Amino acid sequence: MSELQQTNPVPATAKWKIPQEFLTAKSATYCALFLPLAALPLLIDSSFVYHIAILVCLNAIITSGLGVIVRVDQLSLAHGAFAGIGAYASALAVIKLGVPFLLSLVLAALAAGVAAVLLGRLVLGLKGVYFVLATFAFNELFRMIMLLLPEISGGTNGLSNIPAAEIAGLEISSKPGFYIFIALALAATLLVVWMILRSPIGRAFDAISGNLPLAQASGIPPRRYQILAFTSGSVIAGVGGGIMAAYVGFISPESFTFWFSVNTIIMLIVGGRYSIMGPVLGALLLTPLPEVLRSTGQLQQIIYGVCLIAILRFMPGGVSGLIDRFAELMSGRK
Amino acid sequence: MSFEAFLIQTGVNGLILGALYLLMAVGFTLVFGSLRVVNFAHGEFYMLGGFAAYFTTVTMGLPAIASIPLAFLFVAVLGLFCERAVFRPFRGDELNGMIASIGLALILQNGALMLFGPMPLAMPPFAEGLTRFGSIVIPTSRLLAIVISAAVLAIFYVVMMHTRVGRAVRAMVQDAEVASTFGIHPGLVYPLGFALGVGLAAVAGAVMAPLFSVSPFTGHTPLLKAFLVVVLGGLGSIPGAAIASLAVGLIESYTATFYGSLAADGLILLLAVIMLVMRPNGLLGRAMRVG
Repeated sequence: MSELQQTNPVPATAKWKIPQEFLTAKSATYCALFLPLAALPLLIDSSFVYHIAILVCLNAIITSGLGVIVRVDQLSLAHGAFAGIGAYASALAVIKLGVPFLLSLVLAALAAGVAAVLLGRLVLGLKGVYFVLATFAFNELFRMIMLLLPEISGGTNGLSNIPAAEIAGLEISSKPGFYIFIALALAATLLVVWMILRSPIGRAFDAISGNLPLAQASGIPPRRYQILAFTSGSVIAGVGGGIMAAYVGFISPESFTFWFSVNTIIMLIVGGRYSIMGPVLGALLLTPLPEVLRSTGQLQQIIYGVCLIAILRFMPGGVSGLIDRFAELMSGRK
Repeated sequence: MSFEAFLIQTGVNGLILGALYLLMAVGFTLVFGSLRVVNFAHGEFYMLGGFAAYFTTVTMGLPAIASIPLAFLFVAVLGLFCERAVFRPFRGDELNGMIASIGLALILQNGALMLFGPMPLAMPPFAEGLTRFGSIVIPTSRLLAIVISAAVLAIFYVVMMHTRVGRAVRAMVQDAEVASTFGIHPGLVYPLGFALGVGLAAVAGAVMAPLFSVSPFTGHTPLLKAFLVVVLGGLGSIPGAAIASLAVGLIESYTATFYGSLAADGLILLLAVIMLVMRPNGLLGRAMRVG
């Protein structure tokens, strides 16, 4: 008994202090960057700016999910399908069962989670390449099943007239209301991801991606942690999909194709896959472009492709890698 | 048309699809074997092969048969360039190489969209008329597509098995380290493997261009089917790929004829999922080593 107490010398009250790693130059830089930005739409108060800000938050949530999966060195090309599963689960629950919006998001998370565990158990034992091929095929399978079940999914026409989000009897269909809701949802997502990644689970993720045989030899079961990462990331995508359905009011199988997954990957790589804030930066940089430059769609896609390759080659940490380096310089560390 | 003839016609269509998928899957496997990259741009090289065939025959007026080697040559040279500019730094880095190939797919597809526009282009068939085998009648153009694909695969087989270049590429695919101790220069062989692989995709695109149509979006389905063939047949197994692609082609053709194309695609995906569960290394694939 006394031995056990000795191994835990930290007093119980210390647990409730703000953890040390929160008070670094890095987090200070991000706060200085993002808190004013988050308040900006409320100050400008234009419906177009709200729209863009909502889409940025939505993409940041969905990309954060992929960020968790990539932590164990797996790339899911089924991220669109999981967002789709969440979107359909939540939209159907609201339309057919009259479930309140927040509960429908819980259902979206559940549906995506169950699907992810099943798929993960099936394919996560596979070597990297097969995993990618399997997730790619799953994304197609999802689209096909949705097209084959028009009574449920609405077929190619999709589901329209999804009711506006409502929380505790308060309709948040207005843009400022929805923006505040989704900004809070993004903050909650980031907090959850941060808590996962700084916990022993997150360290196991790092161990697996750093050196798989060594991790195995140290008693970390890689498959279990890979399924955990895959499931948590896909659940986040599912919740994002549910929020998306409520905001856009229309979903169809074509909303969640291979290219949905590709766009998520681009945001993650550009923003930075080694940082929790990377997905937010990626969404912030890449979401407004198509909305602002509607006319030059193809050129923009080509620029995305070039950026993707260039960042992989010369800046693997993405934009957040640059910011981290800046923060380290500011705090006087190398 | 009698029911028997109808069944045979459907079988011929299935063989054509099988040949297309085999060309795609063999090229895909070769690229993966040499560069260790899951090439998401493979379908775009198929699409470019189709455009190359279109421009050589329709715009330049060359005979259809010349369009196939020209498409191969054009795309293989482009492949050499892409290997140097995009893939070489990521050699052996599966995750980043794969993401880079997605970037390349974006560039190629949207580049084609800017240059050629979104409208599908129709191409004249290789040959007019019908070929008769007793009571069975098959359009000559379709028969030619099968014959040409088989010929290209035979040439590819001879090159890979009986030439110095083929042996070097195979050695590099099997074990790069040992191969380089035998004096095979990776800097020469990797680009060759990549160019040959995407060249085969271009041949598939050129052969299929008269049967389907040519547009910037045609690459996605052959890419998906190549993936499924690879999953079914086993990555790296050419006989496995041959069996799997013929099976996929025939199943797709018959199911699509009787139950619709959506059911056909669904059935093949289901087969791939079952295969992943029962035999993750595919029909004839060997267990792959890690690292």
